[in-house]
Parts: sequence; C-alpha cells; structure tokens
Amino acid sequence: MNSRERIISAINHREPDRTPLDLGGFDFTGIHVSSLHILEVALGLKKPNEPVKVVDLVQMLGEIDEKLRETLEIDTIPLRGQKNYFGFKNENWKPWTFFDGTPLLVPEKFNTIPDKEGNIYQYPQGDTSALPCVKMPKDGFYFDDVDRSKPIDEESLNVEDQLEECKLLTDEELSYYEKESKRLFEETNYAITFPSGVSGTNLGDSFWIPGWSLKNPRGIRNQEEWYISLITRKDFIRDVNAKMTEIGIENLKLLHQAVGERIQVIMISSTDFGAQNGLLYPKESYQELFKPFHKRINDWVHRNTTWKTLIHSCGSDYDIIPDFIEAGFDILNPVQISAAKMEPERLKKEFGDHIVFWGGGINTQTTFPFGTPQEVEEEVKKNISIFGEGGGFVYATVHDIQARIPLENLLALFRAVNDVRGIKVQGL
Amino acid sequence: MDILQEISDNLQKGQVSKVGILVKQALEDKIDVKTILGSLIEGMGVVGRRFRDGEIYVPEVLIAARAMYAGLDLIRPLLVQTGATYIGKVVIGTVKGDLHDIGKNLVKMMMEGAGFEVIDLGRDVSPEKFVEAVKANQPDIVGMSALITTTMVNMKDTIEALKRANLRDKVIVMVGGAPVTERFAAEIGADSYAKDADTAVAKAKALISNKR
Ligand code: B12
Repeated sequence: MNSRERIISAINHREPDRTPLDLGGFDFTGIHVSSLHILEVALGLKKPNEPVKVVDLVQMLGEIDEKLRETLEIDTIPLRGQKNYFGFKNENWKPWTFFDGTPLLVPEKFNTIPDKEGNIYQYPQGDTSALPCVKMPKDGFYFDDVDRSKPIDEESLNVEDQLEECKLLTDEELSYYEKESKRLFEETNYAITFPSGVSGTNLGDSFWIPGWSLKNPRGIRNQEEWYISLITRKDFIRDVNAKMTEIGIENLKLLHQAVGERIQVIMISSTDFGAQNGLLYPKESYQELFKPFHKRINDWVHRNTTWKTLIHSCGSDYDIIPDFIEAGFDILNPVQISAAKMEPERLKKEFGDHIVFWGGGINTQTTFPFGTPQEVEEEVKKNISIFGEGGGFVYATVHDIQARIPLENLLALFRAVNDVRGIKVQGL
Repeated sequence: MDILQEISDNLQKGQVSKVGILVKQALEDKIDVKTILGSLIEGMGVVGRRFRDGEIYVPEVLIAARAMYAGLDLIRPLLVQTGATYIGKVVIGTVKGDLHDIGKNLVKMMMEGAGFEVIDLGRDVSPEKFVEAVKANQPDIVGMSALITTTMVNMKDTIEALKRANLRDKVIVMVGGAPVTERFAAEIGADSYAKDADTAVAKAKALISNKR
C-alpha cells in the first residue's frame, strides 16, 4: 500500500498494511518550530543554522518538509491556503530568530520588531498602523490574543458584523487550490488533508472569535463573552451558526469544483467542547446550537464527495461523542486520552466502529514532556495496539507537539511508531 | 420567600439584574450588610459545588458570577465602612506565556464569592510581576494557574523569584490548572494544589486559619 491507500483504508475502518502516521497534516497534529528544529538537526536533516519555515504563525508550528516526511515515513501532506490567520499571504519569506534561538523563516508581513519589553505583536492584514491583534510575550512560545472587544450593545448586535470575515472563496483561491491539489495528487502518493477547512463550517471556534484578520472587529469578540452567549444569547448564536452553515456549504461546493476527489480529509470543526474533567458547555448547547448544522454540513459532504470529515475538539468529549457520530463526523481529533473518561480502551470499545481516531497517540500532558524515553515507547506501542485494531486509527500525538519536549522523547516516539510499523529509521 | 433566600436563588440562576434589585431592597429593609454578603456567599458556594460535581458548566458559572458581582458591587463600599474585613487576601494570575484564563477567573470569582479580597493580575503574568504584586499588596495567598506543559515551569520560576525577594515565607502559594498535579505542586515547592475552584476555596480557608 502507498500512503494514500493506507490512510483511505484506515479511515474506512479497514485494517491497513501498517499504522498510518500523520505529522503536520493539520494545525493540531503539527510540531512547534523549536521541537521541529531540534528533531531535524538530530536526524541530520538540517544544520543547526538552517531555518525552519513557520506554517502556523500563532501556534508557531513548523513546516514538515519532504526530507522529514520521507525519513519518518509520514503518510499525509496538507493542502494549505495561501493566507494566514491575520489575513495576509504567507509569501516572500524572511529570516527571524526565535526567542530560544531557533532560526526561522517568516512571511514578509510578519512583524519581527519587539516593543520595549521585548514582546512581539502582529497586525490584521499586516498593517502596523492598525491595533495589534496578537502578542507573543518575550520568551513565550505562542501568540496570545489581544482583547480588542468592545462593550456589547444588545440592540445593535447583528449576524453580519459577527461574520464579517466569513467570506466565499475567491476565484484566485479556487484556482490556487485546483492547481495545488493536482500537483500534490499527481506528484505524490500521500493522503491529502485540507487543514484549514472552508470559511463557514467551523462554527463557534473560540480560536476564531477574536477576528484577527479584521482591523475593527464587531460583535462578540471576547472568548468569555462568547461562552456566556451560548446560554444568554441562544437565538443570536443560532442565527450566526445558520448563516455560517449556508456560507460553509456554498464554499464546500466551490472547493469541490476546484479539487474534486483529490483531497481525502477535510477539517470541518475545531471548536473545543471539552475541558479536563468534563464538558466545557452543557451537552444541550451542543445538541441545540451546533449538532443540526454539523449534520447539514456533513450530509452535504457525504452526499456529494468521497471526502471524510474531521472534528477537532479538546478535552473530555466522552459525553458528546455519540452526538458527533450522529451529526455525521467520520473522524475525531485530538482524542485527549488524559482527560476524564477518555481512556483508549473505553473509546475504542464504545465508539471504534463508528468514528475514526486521528490522535490519542501519546499523553502530551504527562508522558511525552515529563516521562522517560522508555515510558514514551511503551505508551506509544500500547496506544497503537488498542486504537489500531481493525483500522479506524491514524497515529498522531494528542494535539501539536509542543516546545520543551526532551529530544530523547521526541526520538523515542518516532522510533516506537516505526518499530511497530516494521520500519528502521536512520538516526532514531 | 425570605429575601436573603431569594438573593441566593437568583444568583444561582444567574439573574443579574434581579440580584441587584433584591440587594438594593434588602439594604432599604435595613438588613445588615454582612448578612446580605452571607446570602451571596451561600449562593456562590452552591454554584461552586454544582460545578465541581459536573451538574453545571463553565458558562453557567460565569453567568452566576456576574449576578454575584451585581450584588457584591453594591455592598462593597458599605462593608468597608462597617469595618468588616475580608477573610483573606489573594493575588492571582495565569503564569507567563499562558493565555488560558477561564479556570483562573473561576477560582477568582469563587474566592471573592467566599469573602476573600482578590487582586487579579490577569494572564501572561511574569515572575517579576507576581513579586511586585506581593510587595505592593502583602497578600496571604499567591495563586497561579497554568494550562500548558510548556508554561507550568513558570510556576517554579515564580516561586524562586519570591524566594530571592525574601517573600516566599510570607505567602501561601497555591497552584492549579489542567496539567498541574499534587505531585508537581510538591516538586516545585508550592504549598497547595486544588483540582477545581470549589476545592481551591476550601483549601485556601483551611490554609489561612492554620497560618493565623
Ligand atoms: C479553552 C481552551 C483554549 C482557549 C482558551 C480561552 C481562554 N481565554 O482561556 C483557546 C482556544 C484560546 C486555547 C488556546 C491554546 N491552547 Co488550549 N485549551 C482549552 C481547553 C479546551 C479548555 C481549558 C479550559 O478553559 N477549561 C475550563 C476551566 C474551568 O478549567 P481549568 O482551566 O482546568 O481550571 C479549573 C482547575 O484546573 C482549577 N484551577 C485553574 N487554575 C487554578 C489556579 C489555582 C491557584 C487553583 C488552586 C486552581 C486552579 O480550577 C478551575 C475551575 O474549576 C483545554 C483542554 C483541557 N483539557 O483543559 C485546552 C488545552 C489546555 N490547550 C492546549 C493548547 C496546546 C493550546 C494552544 C497552545 C494551542 C491551541 N490551539 O490549542 C493555545 C495556547 C496559546 C497560549 N499562549 O496559551 C493544550 C495544552 C497541552 C499541553 N501540552 O499541556 C490543551 C490541554 C488541549 C489539548 N488537547 O492538549 N485553548
């Protein structure tokens, strides 16, 4: 089997020849630039002064290049959009040294000039005359949202303001996707993921609420206010989600015309519904305000394409996984096995026939950052044997590989995955 | 129904304006401010326990807290006048590099709802800022929240900074947040860890009475 066949088999609940591996197929199965650089240097794929390209400019995820993909035998490749969270294009790369010394490449419009305290800010559309939308504290690892929300005037709250950034795909974007998808499909054997999804399907993601690409975001733009609104402004949220769904389905149609069946998995939702010990919101919030729309979206995809749909939701989702399944999702990520009621055995047994686990490969809150390499290897092998049985599993860590993971643990993880798959990798 | 019971019930239901109206009414009825405060504390206590037990969720707690503040803001100036004291002073913040503040905010709200004075330093709070705040406010407790394994270590740095400033012995250090554990708290030399906001309040109370 080649990589694409392997993933297609796994996501159709058929056992592939070996466990498929994803790294960087989505912006929640990626790797932080610092960890990536350490790993690539250790594997002899990069010289210490050779830079890593940043593909997610908020979470600071690095680009998985062809050398690494081949070396680790990764089975996925992402079809990325041209624009980033701030609404400018990722182009004309320039060097920048990260706080911890990692050499990076960032787009031209990425601001690298620190303030007096050494913090770095980014601006909507790269326009430094606007108010900054995110800030990376000196010595930090990620960008944090800068609260630009205004007090809410209930009278003037409207769907259009809330969805200002939610647009139909342009002809330029569509022809880019068409060309890129052809290139990836014809020139590689990897399974092609569509990590950003299309504008409109990602209902209520608190990551997007602040409206980073907008210079003057209106509506509910503060995360806490958004969470509260799920209870206090139900009608408004329902109207917003309905309108988004309409735009989302329109965009899916356009995307389908452009890429056809060349992509295999599309990200539909990355709203977090879980926290460490249980759901973040009442179950009814999901059932009333999200599920009917998710169902409409998933139904459209299944009726009209061969794509599989993915939902990313952190934390303890156990109580609503049955709802995700009923809403028609094919794939669940990141499968946070360290949260309450999310043990691999339990999940596989109860839901394994109905949903694909894309993640859950290692506990990223304990074992991976703080365990010994041996503990990492043991856990990786155990999780693969539980989740992998009969297919329905793509190996990925729980959420992105963060910074500050000991090198020995990084190596141990990929060694263990490839051990199970019967692959010997030089340098691991 | 007894107006104090009504205050507590409406707080639990998150009826923001109703709680304000009822507290005003209670003040007009010449009910002692401390008794009114008691009804807010009682209501918030119920909310904390229901959240701990998974009966209600984050948005509901946030809404109840708004109702609590609608009452608390009215009686605060009067409490100061009567010389009523807080049961303790807490400086709280999410550590450097971390933006997750929902959990921290819940802890703060519950603590205020339990009669503590809380100084909230917000999120992305550096060790230096914690030290400054301790110098300026002389709290009984320093509370730190961290939600990511990459930022947890900044709790240790803060404790070290407090030591260097000779302030470590003067405060009780409490830590929490999803990846934090009892063991980690002990390793970095914190005094206490709590899994949720309700437990945090109970532990804070116990630690303060021990200290005094
Ligand atoms: C909501 C959320 C977000 C929101 C945050 C919104 C906000 N303003 O807070 C957004 C979307 C912005 C976000 C961003 C990120 N997040 Co996040 N997020 C979460 C999520 C889903 C829930 C956290 C939450 O609010 N829980 C609800 C509250 C009430 O619970 P709590 O915080 O644990 O607090 C309770 C107790 O812990 C305790 N407590 C808390 N603080 C304190 C303090 C003291 C003193 C005491 C005594 C007790 C105490 O009491 C609280 C109330 O009972 C978690 C998943 C999880 N498992 O927790 C991930 C999670 C924490 N995020 C994670 C990550 C990686 C990130 C990002 C880096 C990347 C990303 N895209 O997700 C960025 C972070 C950027 C940055 N600089 O910080 C990871 C961390 C992994 C790790 N290795 O540790 C998690 C665990 C998700 C995962 N699947 O792995 N996130």
